[in-house]
Amino acid sequence: MIEIKNLSRHFGALKAVDEISFSVGSGTITGFLGPNGAGKTTAMRMMVGYLQPSSGSILLDGKSIFADPIATSARIGYLPEHNPLYDEMITQEILRYIADLRKMPAARFTQRLKYVVENCGLQDVLYQRVGTLSKGYRQRVGLAMAILHDPEILILDEPTSGLDPNQILEIRELIRSLGTQKTVLLSSHIMQEVQALCDRVLIINKGKIIVDDEIGKLNSYFKDYQVLHLELEAENPDFSEFLEYHPELEILSQAQEGEYFKLQIRVPAELDIKYDLARFISENGWLIVCLYAQQKSLEEIFHSLTKEGIAVPEQALEPLPKDAEAEIAEEMSSVEDHEDEGEQEI
Amino acid sequence: MNAILTIAKKEYQLAMRSVTSYIVFVLFLVISGAAFATTLFKIDLAELRGIYSIIHLLFIFFIPAITMGSIAKERSSGTIELLSTLPIRLSQVVWGKILSAFLQVLTLLAFCLIYFGIVVVLGENIDYGAIVLGFSGLVFAALAYISIGVFASSLPSNQVLAFVLALVISGFFYAMRYLLVLMPLSVVRYLQFFSFEYHLASFSKGVLDIRDLLFFVAVTLIFAFLAEFNLQSKNMMQER
Repeated sequence: MIEIKNLSRHFGALKAVDEISFSVGSGTITGFLGPNGAGKTTAMRMMVGYLQPSSGSILLDGKSIFADPIATSARIGYLPEHNPLYDEMITQEILRYIADLRKMPAARFTQRLKYVVENCGLQDVLYQRVGTLSKGYRQRVGLAMAILHDPEILILDEPTSGLDPNQILEIRELIRSLGTQKTVLLSSHIMQEVQALCDRVLIINKGKIIVDDEIGKLNSYFKDYQVLHLELEAENPDFSEFLEYHPELEILSQAQEGEYFKLQIRVPAELDIKYDLARFISENGWLIVCLYAQQKSLEEIFHSLTKEGIAVPEQALEPLPKDAEAEIAEEMSSVEDHEDEGEQEI
Repeated sequence: MNAILTIAKKEYQLAMRSVTSYIVFVLFLVISGAAFATTLFKIDLAELRGIYSIIHLLFIFFIPAITMGSIAKERSSGTIELLSTLPIRLSQVVWGKILSAFLQVLTLLAFCLIYFGIVVVLGENIDYGAIVLGFSGLVFAALAYISIGVFASSLPSNQVLAFVLALVISGFFYAMRYLLVLMPLSVVRYLQFFSFEYHLASFSKGVLDIRDLLFFVAVTLIFAFLAEFNLQSKNMMQER
């Protein structure tokens, strides 16, 4: 059980982490989400004791981690952000080195080595120089080093970065199985990963936690409507009749692009109007090219929480209408920081 | 195994695997060998005092080359984050690095024993006490220089800068002897205490003065402590 209370860290005038508080219970996987420079890594570094907090406390089972740093380190497995490794060493050597520094008895090392080699898929590279490994393998070596001593707390800074899709699935499975008995805190840029893995999500932006909730409840932030995307082969079709019949609908955007007409409609979540809409369109002799309800993904939530006020490009991959974003912004009025100019983190 | 030994072992193994170490070793032995051969064949003198002072001079350049990467490299590659989140003390990291560099220098000096052999074979009326003590004096001086080098390596994350820093600090202690000539006599009495050469002199005369021994031990301890302090102050965990 890790408790973070009013934790802050300043680098000069920059508040990297600003008064954050949360707790992570054992047997749960908590996801730490945020754009670059949000303070994820700084917060994690403080939790493993690599950085001193400017103020606030980090409690592990009620005791400050700085009271007995050596004992604390023994209980934590940590995968740092860029996964620094000794390039000149051989995979097996580096694992042995870590085991020796952690004062692991030889028999236990043999047993754990077998476990991490199997679970992190290191069979093929066990006698290869770390410097010659691909990024995916390096990441797996780093993860193997973090879990080698079977720690009760795992702090993983972007554990799946650089892995290919198959490896990601394997590592996720591993983290999931570890998460059943241990306290896992991981940071990620990948929304699907957090959705697939975590029980809880902490969204951090500009050093502040803006969302701290169970993953399942996140959608409730946006339960009240969905957005229908519609593309027709028609010239300036007239929807006024349909809208009169369904006054609860709202057109978010419409545009004629060549022979296609694109439309985005905001629909209350409980209303299924796809059949009505399709019927109306076919009665008018128009042709549907595309019709879908936009998935309410974590991306969307993340986007709206961290990038409010920024115009989304028209051709953006995730077509989230400006108006909708503004609406979300209003709903989340408790959120304060509005002008994150950071790059897209998804 | 103790963390100091674990770190030292790993560092030593890696050093023995790297080409750089061999270049450093060969250069050192070529230069010291040439100097030894000159005294032996040209001056027709089978003695070791000359070669000892040459080795001492070489230390100024070669020990910083051995130690420059010790902590600076951990920092530039980010592995210091790994080390400082393991259940070990930062002092153990520093002493592990010192020990590994010391083992490397001892390996290097072991090759120099061949000079000793040659002198024994060719020389007459050999003062074994002076030879052995002079050699052990060098070993203690090496330890002090290593500590300085590791400290210099703990300051920047750039290895070249670490080398230059170590060279400057070691050079200060080495060159003190030559600077003393320019100083007023009243100051010399105190300043000569900082000269490595001054403390080595009695060793190579075959006299073991405990003050000289303590001087080298003190320099080693002070710079090791400074290196540790430096590591701690860079945002590491408190009281490690």
